[in-house]
Amino acid sequence: MPIALSIAQLAASLALAAPQSPEWTPAQAEHLLNRASFGARPAEVESAVRAGRQVLVEQLLKGFVEPAEPFFVDAPVRPDRRELEGLTEKQRRDALDRYRREERELLFAYAGWWIEQMVEAEHPLREKMVLFWHGYFTSSMRDVRNAEAMIRQNELFRRHALGNFGQLLRAVLRDPAMLEYLDNNQNRKDKPNENLARELLELFTLGLGNYTEQDIKEAARALTGWRTQAGSEALYSPRQHDNGKKTILGRTGRFNADDLVDIVLAHPACPRRVAGKLLEHFEGRAPSEERLAEYAQFLKESKYELAPFFEKLLLDERFYAPEVIGERIAGPVEYLVGSVRRLGVQVPPPLLWLAAGQLGQRLFDPPNVKGWDGGEAWISTSTLLARGNMAGMLLGVVKLEDVLKDDAFEAGDEPGMMDGGMMGDSMGPKPAAGAEKKVDLGPELSAMKRMLGTVYYPRINLTARVSRVGLSSDGEIIDFLADELLPIALTPLSRAALVEFLENERRQLDVDDGRLLGAGVKAEGVLRRLAHLILSLPEAQVS
Amino acid sequence: MDRRTLLSLGALGAGTLLSSRADGAVKLFSSPLLPQERAHRPLIVLQLSGGNDGLSTVVPYAEDAYHRARPSIAHKKDKLLVLDEYRGLNGELKRLRAAFDAGRVAIVEGVGYPKPNRSHFQSLDIWHAADERGRGVGQGWIGRACAKACAGDSNPNLVVHVGANVPYSLHSLEHPAATFVNPAAYRWAGGEHETDAYAKASGAAAEGDEMAPEKPVRREGESSVEFLRRVMNDGHSSSLAVRRAAARYQTPINYPRNDALATSLRDVAALVNSEIGSRVLSLELAGFDTHTDQRNRHDNLMRQLDGALGAFLEDLGRSERGQAAIVLVFSEFGRRVAENGSRGTDHGVAAPLFVLGHRIKGGLFGKHPSFDKLDAGDLAHTTDFRSVYATLIERCFALEHEYVLGAKYALVPVA
Repeated sequence: MPIALSIAQLAASLALAAPQSPEWTPAQAEHLLNRASFGARPAEVESAVRAGRQVLVEQLLKGFVEPAEPFFVDAPVRPDRRELEGLTEKQRRDALDRYRREERELLFAYAGWWIEQMVEAEHPLREKMVLFWHGYFTSSMRDVRNAEAMIRQNELFRRHALGNFGQLLRAVLRDPAMLEYLDNNQNRKDKPNENLARELLELFTLGLGNYTEQDIKEAARALTGWRTQAGSEALYSPRQHDNGKKTILGRTGRFNADDLVDIVLAHPACPRRVAGKLLEHFEGRAPSEERLAEYAQFLKESKYELAPFFEKLLLDERFYAPEVIGERIAGPVEYLVGSVRRLGVQVPPPLLWLAAGQLGQRLFDPPNVKGWDGGEAWISTSTLLARGNMAGMLLGVVKLEDVLKDDAFEAGDEPGMMDGGMMGDSMGPKPAAGAEKKVDLGPELSAMKRMLGTVYYPRINLTARVSRVGLSSDGEIIDFLADELLPIALTPLSRAALVEFLENERRQLDVDDGRLLGAGVKAEGVLRRLAHLILSLPEAQVS
Repeated sequence: MDRRTLLSLGALGAGTLLSSRADGAVKLFSSPLLPQERAHRPLIVLQLSGGNDGLSTVVPYAEDAYHRARPSIAHKKDKLLVLDEYRGLNGELKRLRAAFDAGRVAIVEGVGYPKPNRSHFQSLDIWHAADERGRGVGQGWIGRACAKACAGDSNPNLVVHVGANVPYSLHSLEHPAATFVNPAAYRWAGGEHETDAYAKASGAAAEGDEMAPEKPVRREGESSVEFLRRVMNDGHSSSLAVRRAAARYQTPINYPRNDALATSLRDVAALVNSEIGSRVLSLELAGFDTHTDQRNRHDNLMRQLDGALGAFLEDLGRSERGQAAIVLVFSEFGRRVAENGSRGTDHGVAAPLFVLGHRIKGGLFGKHPSFDKLDAGDLAHTTDFRSVYATLIERCFALEHEYVLGAKYALVPVA
């Protein structure tokens, strides 16, 4: 656990000399690590308490250790038309199949690497922000159909994760995946396509009510000329750019994409929207008007720099208010990564990617241009049941094929499946972005699931963990595991259910209270089922 | 059979169920915790997400302006299922055509709302909230209807969504939708003792407990943990009933194979024909945002819709409750009259919607929007969608519609 070590080292290096402000409690420290990292074990929380809030926030902004090596991209090359023409029908199909398989494998490998960054939490706030931007500036593999473009977009988010929003926005408007996803490839001087311009104003910067339909039309003209080349390169062709005069948000000129960014950044609605989204994401509730105004003003004055914004937020007393702590519902990725970290179990990252997808958050495949709704929208009767099942799978008490069998990849939420393979196997023109390009993510996934199902076996020893701290009674065991596994305190109602469960289990094994751990391998089974219950509780679903 | 296998086959339910056979299970299933059948008509809502192109669904083939505006994607008369001298159904809608002829399909032309919004999300919000203010008004229109019609009914299966994303129309403080993609996977997978503990932690009463369930009551200011516990409780009690209903369902109707919509509609038919008391069942077919190369893609969607809906309608005909059901098929907007530069169409405004069922009044309703008076290139609406909702609210919930919609609308006499 790098974070445990690094926080511990940090605390040690301060020789525990930091003056302790009275309001810096373990619950607050855990809260900060829930929100700005991916959750923490009690030992890490202790170190964080010793380090102090100021120091911990500084470290979160910098990262605990040097960021990991960037993922190496060596993308498969799509067989070109001429190459294909010389082949028989079958050879052609095989060549395209191979290409598509390689593309999928590349993206899965990258998704796995990304999830590993979250689990390792070497620079957890950065990775939290990569996840945030992925849902903010959405693009989906389903529509982009180019693994390298998706990977580059993810790297773009990582580069700017805690940087400057304006620079990020500028880069996004010439990001190959985005240009493809929001149809800017079809946005030409003579035939403008409004899609990117509309979402730029509606979702990325201003929000509804702050611009007119005419502003969208004019903004689309400013964006003409930028398109994707060879799947993963951005290209500006001046001939396709409409260099005429445009009037956007009351300003007139021969605007291009960068001018457009300047115009929207200068609009008062922009810092409000960005600050509001960030506050809501990190606090789990929409900010009050007063608070929103304060943070919007701050963001504007700091010229959209994000690090000062986070420093302000994470040191803000109101961030630690009782109505904020424990009130944010964790997204599927956060829930899974947090559970893995707290359990201390090694899980193949692609398995987590599949599991998160089943819980409603498929990385590289957000549901639409608005991204994931988040909050209560993550929770339905079925996703809540399924979260518990995924926890059981991580613990080895629920069979993998039982929870991943009815995978949404193959059935259910893609009724409009069409268009063949994910990478666009038709030789014709590709369809544009939007919900319509429903594609099957392919038989490889089933194969991978089967493989993971036989390979994954959790290496975890809860009995040893409990014995090490010398606990033995039912109550002690429950309180210890709840503290280890939950992001917030266990409620009395849940605790009563766990006590009853443990009593029942013990009676079945015919051992007295305090002697459960003596039951050997059977005790481990009981503890894992107990952990399964704990991770299925309401208290496990927040962050 | 060992204990865990047995348990994994079975239920989240109580111990008796696991030691008894089918008759015991049936007994538990029809316990007073689950509501009795209602006299009201079930409402099934199918959303065509992305903006279905109405002009390619009910095609005004006699309109020259239509052909002029769409040189590469217009449907010619000879490919259509002609309804009258003006319009024809998309050629793929063969089963729906037969159902139309049998009086089981009502087509309402030119449906939309004033000051149309061309954003998918905003327009969907308006349809879901039945209000131009969108989500600002609070609950979805179905949530509001249930709050009036089913006050005090805590059946978690009252409103069901079969699919991954619950539409805002179902958003409700009192009656949140039970939701699943596949009924068989709709369960918490734990053993007997764990499942008992899971139920207890969810606030449900233990078996044999004389106390009323400690079901948390939804209230303003409910904490996240309280909210989560309530959903946990709902999921626990609803999943058993749903799995049973779907697993036991038998029908001679052949639904299209390997088709997610058809599979989901079959599950919906199973629930309609079960005792779990679902009043509203919702589904989604996505893929209608046809900005490019529309013709084949839209035709494929029409074929899929026709096969699945055709089988479903036939299935509904086999039971009293199925015959009473009313099916609404809608989309957030139609598409622009003129095709764009990519042989597709951009976001538009008015479009026809469909109401189906065995005891509805089939036929054509409303007026086709004029091609002479386009609103910024779009068909202007001639019927407000709330007029259709008003009719459904009265028929399915036996409510005065203005209590749900906040205003009076002229009913469309489709049912």
